[in-house]
Amino acid sequence: MNMILSAQNVSKAYGSYQALRDVSLNIGDTEFVSIVGPNGAGKTTLVNVLTGLSRPTSGSVHFSGRSIAGIGPVRLAAMGMARSFQLVNVFPSLSVWESIAVAVSSRQGKARNPFATLFKSRQIDDEVQRVAATFGLSQKLTTTTGELSQGEKKLLDIASAFALRPRAILMDEPTSGVASADKYDIMELLVKAARLQGVGTIIQVEHDMTLVARYSHRIVALQEGRVIGDMTPDAFFKDPLMLEAVIGPAHSKQAQSAGETLLC
Amino acid sequence: MQYLNLILAGLFQAAVLFLVACGLQLIFGVQKIVNLACGSFYALGAFFAITVVSIVQQWQLPALLLIPVLVLAGLAIGLVGAPLELMLRPVYRRDPSYQLLLTFGLVLMFQDVFRFFWGAAPRSMDTALYGAYGTLEAQAVSIPIYNLLVILASIAIALILGLTLKRSRVGRIVRATAENRDMTEALGVNASRVFTLVFTVGCILGTVGGALIVPTSAASLTMAAELVVDAFAVVVIGGLGSMAGAVAGAVIVGLMRTVAVTFASEVEILSIYLVVVAVLLFRPKGLFGKEAV
Amino acid sequence: MSALPETLPASTPAARPLLLGGVGPLVILLVGLAVSPVLLSAYATVTLMPVIAYGIAVLGMNILFGYTGMLSFGHAMFLAIGAYCAAVATQHGILSFEWILLVASGVGASIALIVGALCVRFTHIFFGVLTLAIGMLLHSFLFKFYDLTGGDQGMRVLRPTLLGQTWDMSATQFLSGPFYYYCLVVYVVFVLVTYRMIKSPVGLHLQAIRDNENKARYLGVHVYRLRLGAFVLSGMLGSIGGAMLGVSTGLADPELAYWTQSGNLIFMLVLGGAGTFSGPGVGALIFVLLQDIAASETQYWRFLLGATLTVLVLALPDGLLGTLSKYRGPGKNPGAQP
Repeated sequence: MNMILSAQNVSKAYGSYQALRDVSLNIGDTEFVSIVGPNGAGKTTLVNVLTGLSRPTSGSVHFSGRSIAGIGPVRLAAMGMARSFQLVNVFPSLSVWESIAVAVSSRQGKARNPFATLFKSRQIDDEVQRVAATFGLSQKLTTTTGELSQGEKKLLDIASAFALRPRAILMDEPTSGVASADKYDIMELLVKAARLQGVGTIIQVEHDMTLVARYSHRIVALQEGRVIGDMTPDAFFKDPLMLEAVIGPAHSKQAQSAGETLLC
Repeated sequence: MQYLNLILAGLFQAAVLFLVACGLQLIFGVQKIVNLACGSFYALGAFFAITVVSIVQQWQLPALLLIPVLVLAGLAIGLVGAPLELMLRPVYRRDPSYQLLLTFGLVLMFQDVFRFFWGAAPRSMDTALYGAYGTLEAQAVSIPIYNLLVILASIAIALILGLTLKRSRVGRIVRATAENRDMTEALGVNASRVFTLVFTVGCILGTVGGALIVPTSAASLTMAAELVVDAFAVVVIGGLGSMAGAVAGAVIVGLMRTVAVTFASEVEILSIYLVVVAVLLFRPKGLFGKEAV
Repeated sequence: MSALPETLPASTPAARPLLLGGVGPLVILLVGLAVSPVLLSAYATVTLMPVIAYGIAVLGMNILFGYTGMLSFGHAMFLAIGAYCAAVATQHGILSFEWILLVASGVGASIALIVGALCVRFTHIFFGVLTLAIGMLLHSFLFKFYDLTGGDQGMRVLRPTLLGQTWDMSATQFLSGPFYYYCLVVYVVFVLVTYRMIKSPVGLHLQAIRDNENKARYLGVHVYRLRLGAFVLSGMLGSIGGAMLGVSTGLADPELAYWTQSGNLIFMLVLGGAGTFSGPGVGALIFVLLQDIAASETQYWRFLLGATLTVLVLALPDGLLGTLSKYRGPGKNPGAQP
């Protein structure tokens, strides 16, 4: 496995507030990494730096060997990394087909020619159909996004990110707002979609520790801007200090046993 | 020392501009509405004031009551803003483009309202009344007392408004509603009434400004559209949503207008726009603004 | 979770028929415009000339506002630029309308490039205010510099040659005959070109920017570049419309650049429906007719126009065509599927 995304000694300050302190991280091209930590630990800031949205105050961040410090979303997408947010981000007046086609046409470089075909393009249509099918949206292709249910919008949001065929995808709480019963379905879908779309690296910020335990290859724990743990779920759930720091003392016992049950 | 006269003349323009810009800022700050019809309220105040004065003149009141009469006239007609605000309600939560369109519709309608009530020709007031205040002459400085009084009135209004917003209960409610409408509603404030109040006050500021200017210049059909441009210049330079910005912007634009008209009239209005464009490009927040959208 | 289907369902948008939100109404309008000279008097036809000129201008503005979501309150400046290009050209001996259109396009696009580069960073209110200020900057320049621009009297636009021919006939005959059809053909060409563009991936990306510029960025859409491109295109089309207006009125008037004229253009957009392809063109027709009829009925036509705009914004925010096309069926949104 090769390293694809790395942060070296990244610190980020907002005025006098130190959000990240000397964070170093290396993520491989076929890993599923979960970033965990209490609120205010710096998870969002770290993700912002890892996706080129925020320039680190010091330190460096590289993707596929190239610096991505502050490159912004457009260039990030061109380099092969996608990102999805906690709040659903969609195009309200576009249909499902069109929403996915935005990403597909982007990836296929079709937006350079103002006279290129869109709707009759077999190339675009094939790809859109595939992605839609993977996410179970095939029956809704002509529906306007505004008319979808909240869950479907979430799927579409993630589907369009996957349609970029990124080598790495970073997701901010992908199952937030989803009913507990459906969370596993979503995760299974994500993992399957990743495989079908050729997405090697999945990084998620997640609070639900059972999901984290089940799907991650690795858990990175943050607290007060520092990495306090970077280990396999196995090791993580056996470490009471980790659990206490991330989840809090009251629940760590539960999590520990839950984790143990899952991992055995 | 003629420079001092020039500055004072500029300050007079600034005083009136400030009133209108203040109204604009208040409405934008609280309701996030850009009132393109601000110039129309200005013109409304001007026309109405002329009518009121010509009626009152028949009662042979002392000429010194001119300013209070004008202010009251402006106040009275400014109340028109209250029912108009009802019309604006549907667009508060919509795309900002729609409120620009709606207020533009008001501009068009007002044009013909003026035409209907006051005709197409410019109307002016009996200048004798203006002169009744006399002129202040001291050490080569010469300024009509009327102008001086208007400048002072403007400063007074600025201070009253500022204090009201900062210290009074109403002021705090208004500011809270401006920050977060839903939150204040959850806390039991009737945000709709706050909006109506704010909009009406904003309109009144405009109409009073228009009323105060008529002794010195005629009320015409074009003054509405022209003022919009000036008011916007003030707001852009001073910063959207800021009272201090309204003051600073008004002073700058008022002075620039007077100075440019005297020295290089060709460049006059061009210079103002150049400054506006430059500010928008290099410091889009303006001098005191809070946000660059 | 569903498995990959064996055959692809025929649900691609290409299979959809043309809707009211599509190019249909515009085609009807164009046909109507084509037969008008035959059915109406020459004088009446001349009053339809602005429908063509404004139609081209709002075609561009629709791409900017309807499809990319940017409302420019200074777009009339391009009408003025086009008209003044025509005036300057004809007064300096360039009488070929082909050349005039080229010059107007070139100047319009260049100025739009500069103005756009500065403005498209901003959105919504700021963009509107900035474009309003720049439009008024141009107006004051045209108004004040008498020696260069003729000041408030404007500049005369002489009659151009069409396809190398001078047309020896009265102004009314020229404007309702050869010139009318010439401009109509230009209109048709631009309708086809812009329609093709809207249906391309670029058109899709523009709409993505309008709906959610942040999400669009994360999907690799070049937001700044596309916005600038849309602005330049709309500036070019505005100038072409302006040149036509200049020829048909014989005058390049600084009032063309006044902010209220931009408001009229926006009115046309909204009247027909800014999110639809045909809307603005239809809006231009209705606006011109409304203005003519209202002006001949009452001197208070501005009030009528203003009231119409107000009612529209409050009751029919999607404009006439937008609202009608919404009632045609579920799941059919005006902007995206012409």
